[in-house]
Amino acid sequence: MERLRFIIKRFALLIVMLFGVATIVFVLTKLVPGDSAVANLSQRSLSDPKIVEAYKVKHGLDQPVIIQYFIHIKNVFKLDLGTSMRTNQSILYELKRCFPATIELATLAILLSTIFGIFFGIISAMKRNSIVDQIVRAISVLGVSIPSFWFALIMLYVFYYKLQILPGPGRLSASFSAPVAVTGFYMIDSLIEGDFLKFIDALKHLILPASVLAAFTMGLITRTTRSNLLDVMSTDYIRTAKAKGLSKVSVIVSHALGNALIPVLTVIGLGFGNLLGGMVLVETIFNWPGLGQFAYNSVKSLDYPGIIGVSLLIALNYMLINTVIDILYGTIDPRVRCK
Amino acid sequence: MKKKVIVLLLTFAMVFIVAGCSSKDNNEGASESVVVIAMGSGFSTLDPGFMYEQNPTLVANACYETLFKFIDGSDEPQTSLAESYTFSDDGLALTIVLKEEATFASGNPVTSEDVKFSLNRTKNLKGNPSFIADTIKSIECPDESTVVINLTGQDSAILSKLGYASCSILDSKVVKENGGTDAEDANTTDTAQVYLDATSAGSGMYVLKSYTPDEEIILEKNENYWGTTTNVDKYIIKLQGDANTQMMGLSSGDIDIALNLTDDTIIELEGKENVKVQNESTKTVGFLMMNEDEKIGGPVANNKVQKAISYAIDYKGIQTICGTGSITPESIIQVGFMGSKGEKDVSTATDLVKAKELLKEAGYEDGFDIDLEMSELDMEGVPLLDLAQIVKEDLSEININVNIVQRDWVAGYGDDYRDGKMGMTIIYWGIDYNDPNVQLVFLPGQQVGLRANWKEKGYEDITKKYNDILAETDSSKRSQLLVEVQDMIEEDSPFVMLAQASCHIGYNSKLTGVNFSDTYRVDVTEINIQ
Repeated sequence: MERLRFIIKRFALLIVMLFGVATIVFVLTKLVPGDSAVANLSQRSLSDPKIVEAYKVKHGLDQPVIIQYFIHIKNVFKLDLGTSMRTNQSILYELKRCFPATIELATLAILLSTIFGIFFGIISAMKRNSIVDQIVRAISVLGVSIPSFWFALIMLYVFYYKLQILPGPGRLSASFSAPVAVTGFYMIDSLIEGDFLKFIDALKHLILPASVLAAFTMGLITRTTRSNLLDVMSTDYIRTAKAKGLSKVSVIVSHALGNALIPVLTVIGLGFGNLLGGMVLVETIFNWPGLGQFAYNSVKSLDYPGIIGVSLLIALNYMLINTVIDILYGTIDPRVRCK
Repeated sequence: MKKKVIVLLLTFAMVFIVAGCSSKDNNEGASESVVVIAMGSGFSTLDPGFMYEQNPTLVANACYETLFKFIDGSDEPQTSLAESYTFSDDGLALTIVLKEEATFASGNPVTSEDVKFSLNRTKNLKGNPSFIADTIKSIECPDESTVVINLTGQDSAILSKLGYASCSILDSKVVKENGGTDAEDANTTDTAQVYLDATSAGSGMYVLKSYTPDEEIILEKNENYWGTTTNVDKYIIKLQGDANTQMMGLSSGDIDIALNLTDDTIIELEGKENVKVQNESTKTVGFLMMNEDEKIGGPVANNKVQKAISYAIDYKGIQTICGTGSITPESIIQVGFMGSKGEKDVSTATDLVKAKELLKEAGYEDGFDIDLEMSELDMEGVPLLDLAQIVKEDLSEININVNIVQRDWVAGYGDDYRDGKMGMTIIYWGIDYNDPNVQLVFLPGQQVGLRANWKEKGYEDITKKYNDILAETDSSKRSQLLVEVQDMIEEDSPFVMLAQASCHIGYNSKLTGVNFSDTYRVDVTEINIQ
């Protein structure tokens, strides 16, 4: 019951925060110097006042800013994010089109980074100051510091171009048509279609971009897991467990890991949020039609509804992820729940 | 429990790795009748009424037809849906008879009403390409196969304009059923774009099967196509503009045509048996603009200084930056257009002694400091800032100290450039339609001329020549007039044409008919598989 009240409170707060985000993003887009008409109309069209005027009327830019703001807020609460100035499609349609591609990629990336990050973190902590520890720490530093666009090109060059064991950019090979959109996730939709080969192809196309994206978060998770595990391992209850004759693996897995993973959860959550909102370069190199590319194109063409739509979605992601993490904290550590 | 979870997760990871490392794709792109093209995105619609970027014209040319078309690389428009045409004696009416056998993919015949609807819709949508119909006053349909286009004034480029993608002829019945209108208020009432982004409504050799923005476009053969077809049944167009990934895809056989290669990537393709490469110059031209108004341009408003600057530039260096295939036109009309004065001889075009003499005559023997305002734009993948650096170095040779000032296109640069408030800048001009008349904007009193404050006053003879060119529908006579007008501006022009951008195309050697085209990128209706 207490947990239910907590969840309801968090979701009520979420609506207030969304209103704040909608306001801040609107104000920021209007403060940024630039003219959407200049960004979207050709040089020749810009020389024709009639076309410029028609463009402004069509997109409501002829209205005073305060009126634009009230229309914007009213539309946000009606779940109508307006029409893209760049594509002329509804923003909800665009987000619905792009977001599944991003979630599919981000989910695999976070899964890979979590599995390998925790695994390497444990190994590193268990073999503290050994050569294995040094290698793992070097890998994690490399993962955090390597520029993603460069790593993406190298991965493509090695695994696609030279070794030819993984497919190149895109979500599917040319031999497959996109599955009928049910969820927007190609892996799920191809299974719904009953096409297992397409499922495998979609999966293979995910591996390279997901690995590139996973590198950064994996590095963070490895480092966080290692340092927290080392802290926990020096506590009294672990000493007691060791004194009872439990094996090292048993002590770590059954007693230490649970407590050591609480800060890791935050890293995973924030990492997932980052992946959902900030993979423009990787999406561009891998021709991945996700939110990052849409956000980039929206900013480039000063597509105000597009920028606001993406910002709201990313903010919503962060809020939901934080809420889920708070709930998970309580699950892992009952003391947090009691507080 | 925890052990089970860990085992499960590790198993899942193993499945990923095993699946990923299995054998290479069985790519359909290598099969008999499917061609896979990789090209850049950067566009947002496939509705011809809104189309003005270069890449989607490839799709428009495949799915739609125009009244006139540029065939086999010709720079003169040939009849396409038009069977024949005649101009009235005063040149103000163009009568076109349509081909009777032409039909849309829906099976509907192509009629004069479809032509009227399509051209009026493009005009009234008031989108980027609406200017193309500026000189169209009204359209009459005396019968089903005859169209009379009344012009606001003589327009010798009208046939070329009617060959532009946004003048594609749409199946008016289908488009109207899906929210289309050609009414004067079409810019607020037409809702057909969503439909036309998902499917096509034309008479072209192909139909648009699907369009996933920033991902891919699929074209399939139009089963009802009325003309002669090629042996390619399907095109898969991957919207991937990165040159490196295009090169890798072409090498591995995953794609058949790569449209955005660079100098670096074509080196990687050298020696590949199954790959052919074309390095062509486009009609997109980069130029240096100097303001004629002394209050704005300062010393560069002086004609002798402008001439000195044109002699100081190392055009070979500019071409190196622009890539293999890049050339510099002698004057404002690019090589490839009728009326062009040809390619500049870059081995003799740079003359520092002459440049210094001209500066001395202008009273600037010791040189001067000047701002070169630049935007972040690129010309066919070449950052304009790179060209600015070359110009800065070149001008330092004649004691002109250039200070490059960077400004954002959407945050002031664009407005100031159009309003003629820039002293000196480097920018590019992409052709709006495939006709040399597009370049007449560089004349005094015309669109780009005015951006340099090069006004008509004092150049009335050039304006007369401009009007003669617009009125002249005979190609050879127009060509001569175009050369003459370029001769007339040679001494006074505040523009220095730097280079025509290059374009590198790579394609699988199994294909024939792959040729770069400024109008269509590549004309997919001419490609066959050997």
